[in-house]
Amino acid sequence: MSRSRSASGWLYVLPALTLFTLLVIVPIIWSLSFSVFKWNGIGAKVFIGIGNYVRMWNDGLFRRAFINNLIFAGLGTFVQVVLGMAMAILLMSITKFRDFVKVAYFIPCVISSVAICQIFAKLFALNPEGVFNALLGAAGLAAWKSAPLSDPHLALVIVTLVDAYKFCAIYMVIYFSAFMGIDAQLLEAAELDGANWWQRYVHVRFPMIRTVFLISLVVLISGTLKGFDVSYILTGGGPGAASELVSTYMYKTIFNSLNFGYGSAIAVFLAVECLLAVAIMQRLFRTSGQEGM
Amino acid sequence: MSWSRILRPMAYLTVGVMLVVQLYPIVWVAAASLKTPGELANGAPFAMPAGFYVGNYIGAFRQSNLLRYLFNSTVVAVLTILITIGLGAPAAYAIEKLRFGGAKIVLGYFLLGIMIPIFVTLLPMFQMFNAAGLRNTYWALVLPQVAFGLPLCIYLYTGFMRQVPDALLEAATIDGASDLRIFLTIVFPLCGNVTVTIVTLSFLSVWNEFVFANTFMTAASMKTLPIGLNDFVGAYGKTDFGLTYAAIMVSVLPTLILYFFLNKRVIGGVTAGATK
Repeated sequence: MSRSRSASGWLYVLPALTLFTLLVIVPIIWSLSFSVFKWNGIGAKVFIGIGNYVRMWNDGLFRRAFINNLIFAGLGTFVQVVLGMAMAILLMSITKFRDFVKVAYFIPCVISSVAICQIFAKLFALNPEGVFNALLGAAGLAAWKSAPLSDPHLALVIVTLVDAYKFCAIYMVIYFSAFMGIDAQLLEAAELDGANWWQRYVHVRFPMIRTVFLISLVVLISGTLKGFDVSYILTGGGPGAASELVSTYMYKTIFNSLNFGYGSAIAVFLAVECLLAVAIMQRLFRTSGQEGM
Repeated sequence: MSWSRILRPMAYLTVGVMLVVQLYPIVWVAAASLKTPGELANGAPFAMPAGFYVGNYIGAFRQSNLLRYLFNSTVVAVLTILITIGLGAPAAYAIEKLRFGGAKIVLGYFLLGIMIPIFVTLLPMFQMFNAAGLRNTYWALVLPQVAFGLPLCIYLYTGFMRQVPDALLEAATIDGASDLRIFLTIVFPLCGNVTVTIVTLSFLSVWNEFVFANTFMTAASMKTLPIGLNDFVGAYGKTDFGLTYAAIMVSVLPTLILYFFLNKRVIGGVTAGATK
């Protein structure tokens, strides 16, 4: 079969390539160019160079959103790794109902973020009393009843936990399938050597899924850095800017304040931040991988 | 082995506790959607409904555009899935089997898309769609979701097509089959499993999508379920809770039904997609 027919090959790729370039790549360049102007969408564009980027540096709200986002990414990644790993190990340690439990655990992942957020908004509500406050009342802790979503000290943590709740089972299925892929002979050998349940995890299973684990960290961190839905839907970034994230602040800057230039600069910052985080992690993991060998 | 004597029951107990945690929110809203207004107003929020009251569902459909939202979501999902596969599968075939000059670079270019946050494309897309008169049309949701769906689609197809032996295609060529015919009658049918995985993954992501829909669909008649649901809660959420719970259930049920039948594909696809 002649495999040098470039022209016909390009013909098959061209439609996908055109659409992808037009709607993913071109807009990035477009955003980059917007980001050096002061512009509200209707008036004249005023070139201000890196002015928007300087403004980000001095903007207290942006800094708040950025720090919130780091907390959201750090805590969210930690919680999802721990829950995902715990559920994967639970699945490994049962033999009956394993498929059923796995499918059931995964259900929050297939439900829309809007539905999850609306459900949690009702569970946490104070008026009418949601399950959360009703349980506090039943436990004799009526004094602790509150509206945690309107509490500036709690909103970000709850946004982070709801987001983690929605997605943690993804990491369960990733770790579980990695555990299942380990050569059974290795585990048998460890068992013959007298390794107990926990030692088999520490000395065989965890090291064997190291690569998958590191990949999951990259996916989690780059995913949480661009988190949007739960903050926007559940708290609207509030109260105040208590649960504002970089993406929600960018969205409001563009679509509510019509600050197109400044909003584009924040969007570019977000994209660069995500790409940098992935690049740095890949580099770190590659060097640490070589040391390990 | 005395370890497992203690550990096994403990494991099953913990599995059960975790099961309650993972399922509680959805079970709670399902139960709440079946409560009568009286139960909702006076009963404890964690109580189970006394009967099977469907009034909230009837009310939700009567007093809102839920049917319209369902229809819109379905149209957007079907179009997005068909076009993603229609563009992605031939592209993967050319990259992996026709191996034209620059194929590897093209693949790398597509895979870049996986790392790009959609937010950096939102404003330019908004202006493009605005200028082209595409805002508040299905295309304003279909086109961006196809564009951002192509990388994973092409990644999954190329991964599978790599396993299809060249000898098989060469035999067909000798028999006089064209590249297009080979793709349509041999390669694409062989990819059946991958296609089902892509259909389920795209369906879930398109059905649940929020940001594009919230940005490009402002007309009430063009909203999809997630956005419509958010509006519905804004309008009725403070007054009629039963309707809100029923509306949430209506938006969630199609995905739960699909998941009930295709859970192996969904879980397998997520694992394959995330660890690429």
